[in-house]
Amino acid sequence: MRQRIGLLGLGFMAPAMIMVVVFFLIPVIMTAFFAFTNMGTATGVSGGEYLLTPKIIKQFEANQTLDEKVITALGSSSYIVNKTNLARAKEAGLKSKYLGEIDKKLHGKTFASRRQFERALKKLKSRPRNTRALIKSTAHFSNSVLNTRYETLGDFKTALSNNGAILAEPQLKIVTQASYTGWIWTTDNFTTMFSKPDTWFVAVNTLVYVVLVLAFNIFFGLFLSLTTFYLPTGQSVFFRAIWLLPRISPPVLYVLLWKWLTWDTGFISTVLGWFGMAPYNFMLGSVESAWTVVILINGFVGASLGMILFSSAIQAIPTSILYASEVDGANRWQQIRYIILPQLRWPILFTTSYTTLSLLTSFEYILLSTRGGPGGTTNVWALEAYFTALNNYSGNLQYGYGAAMALVLVTIGISVSLLYLRLFKFDDLVTRPRIES
Amino acid sequence: MRILLDKFTKKFDDTVVINDMDLEIKDGELMALLGPSGCGKSTTLFSICGIYQCSGGRILFGDRDVSNVSSQQRNVGVVFQNYALYPHMSIYENIAFPLMVKKMDAAQIKKEVHAIAKLVHIGDLLERRPSQLSGGQQQRVALCRALVRRPDVLLLDEPLANLDAKLRLEMRSEIRRIQQETGITAILVTHDQVEAMSMCDRIALMDEGKVLQVTTPNDMYHNPQTDFVASFLGNPPIAFLEGEVAGNQVLLNGSQLKVALPSSIRQPDNGTKVRLGVRPELVGTDRGNAVAGRISFIETQGRENLYDLTLDNGAVLRSIQAVRSDISMGQTANWNIDTERVLVFDTNGQRLL
Repeated sequence: MRQRIGLLGLGFMAPAMIMVVVFFLIPVIMTAFFAFTNMGTATGVSGGEYLLTPKIIKQFEANQTLDEKVITALGSSSYIVNKTNLARAKEAGLKSKYLGEIDKKLHGKTFASRRQFERALKKLKSRPRNTRALIKSTAHFSNSVLNTRYETLGDFKTALSNNGAILAEPQLKIVTQASYTGWIWTTDNFTTMFSKPDTWFVAVNTLVYVVLVLAFNIFFGLFLSLTTFYLPTGQSVFFRAIWLLPRISPPVLYVLLWKWLTWDTGFISTVLGWFGMAPYNFMLGSVESAWTVVILINGFVGASLGMILFSSAIQAIPTSILYASEVDGANRWQQIRYIILPQLRWPILFTTSYTTLSLLTSFEYILLSTRGGPGGTTNVWALEAYFTALNNYSGNLQYGYGAAMALVLVTIGISVSLLYLRLFKFDDLVTRPRIES
Repeated sequence: MRILLDKFTKKFDDTVVINDMDLEIKDGELMALLGPSGCGKSTTLFSICGIYQCSGGRILFGDRDVSNVSSQQRNVGVVFQNYALYPHMSIYENIAFPLMVKKMDAAQIKKEVHAIAKLVHIGDLLERRPSQLSGGQQQRVALCRALVRRPDVLLLDEPLANLDAKLRLEMRSEIRRIQQETGITAILVTHDQVEAMSMCDRIALMDEGKVLQVTTPNDMYHNPQTDFVASFLGNPPIAFLEGEVAGNQVLLNGSQLKVALPSSIRQPDNGTKVRLGVRPELVGTDRGNAVAGRISFIETQGRENLYDLTLDNGAVLRSIQAVRSDISMGQTANWNIDTERVLVFDTNGQRLL
């Protein structure tokens, strides 16, 4: 019997568990996984190839990571006449007479540059008459590794040794790492993140954003619920419905209305224009006005949640207690201060913790309104992560770096929730099940 | 302080709940507003304390017309049915609240709270929270909070309804003691006639927004002006017999049984339809006029038994008598009715005197 009830309980929990795994656990694990790679548009998400470019050689020169001889060898494009290269040329369809002559006259010779090799080839009788064809035929004898893609590490190493560059093991490692075009495991994302001053700027922005919007939400929510509580029923329902509109209207439309309101051709500017004020873009005109608009846009959306929770909590207060406070001589303000507010403690704490967490990760209204502007001054962490990983102006999406930013956010979010759970003793709010199994 | 309701009227939108009610509560008196559910007694109480606004008439505290004074300014103490203690405050804070909102200084508040707590016997509970108290203790706290500001009038809204039977007995006498010790004018709203009769100086019996009779409990029991008043007071309740006057007797409807009219009343005309109110203690006495019937029900009450005597026309008389072993269910009995004390009403329910 006990066993069956246990399974039944699990059965009830299963959908929630699956949801948690699919929509929370797996994304978090994937984020953590990406955060320790350098994945991006440049590397792709699958494996990579080995490609040594003149740019990399230049970097070697600049950093002096390799000695000069090795660098020259890597960069050299020598031409060798040997069996392998002859076979390669034959496969490419060069005339066998021409190849036979090369084999006979030039076998085993090495030419330091194409010009030298051409000069030698021009002396051959069976050479192509066309200069261009002649130049083209030299390519098959080139041993340069530059600008050639090698699919495996083995191929790349063989090519390097064919090139004649003799590399010791550590030098080889440096060269292969630099030439690899795929993603690799790295902790660079985090070191970069914490050393960039931009990161701290965005972090402070996020803090300001969360604190101000949260304060606005709570105080405005309280204000609305208290004022509507003292209104007659019909009016209070009407006002609550109005203040619910920001929450239920689609974000794009809602922000569009704000744009219509605040832009230099918008409502406010038009009205102020009648009084002789110059048109002004309140959304992007200055840092202060941009922040004000961002906080109001988010604040009005969030205030409705507080309003609903607080209103229902106020209505749950027994009428007789409110009557009692009135006959005890308490005026409206004293009634709110001593009777209503103390009973809203739990809803306020709940709204505070819930809103903090959702604000930390929210960026959609900022993205739609100021897009982090003007000049990145209203940029917040989640928006920055979004831009880095998914929607970059330069087109170079850095999945790994963006995931690292997101991981920081996830870590902060989980720590803050655990802190709230301890601080507000949420356990006390959850009563034990009444039905014993 | 004397409380006077003068042509007091209360409407909710278009529904008239109380119409032209006149009632005087004398200084230092405990008055019961007694009546069935929905008779307007709580509405009257809430109008006196100012939670409801008067729709018409006047309410006077002494000579002061408070009809348009807010409840904050009326200086009334109210004990609510569910006590309405503030759950987030300690008992001390609960009792101190009316003084605190008046901005009385802390030392004075402390003195007053301790004095009233001592009077009501809850001096040792002041540190606790309401949820840690029993119903009776919460009741006492509510009483303290109502009394601490020395109100002009103490209003009690069914204060005993949420208590168990034993506590109810205890609190009945406690409330009466405290009211008498403080000498405060008080109004008790109740639907329980025992409460009203045992605690109060006078009872105002209400029905459908009207005061039917205002008098002392004893007088109301023995001299009800209508059959409604008679039926509302007394436990077990009064039984009614319908009949026609025939000489100095009443012939019961559908029966040959005759019951003599009390000699004290003015003789109605022959053929007048009347209702006789017979209280249980008047049946089975050693004098009066015997009626025959069948014992249809016996209820054990310990010291006494309650017997139902069904007459041949189907009417049921109740009789309360010392426990008798010679009577069993279904048996016929020939019991006396003490006809001199029977109450006679006309068909409109008015008492015939």
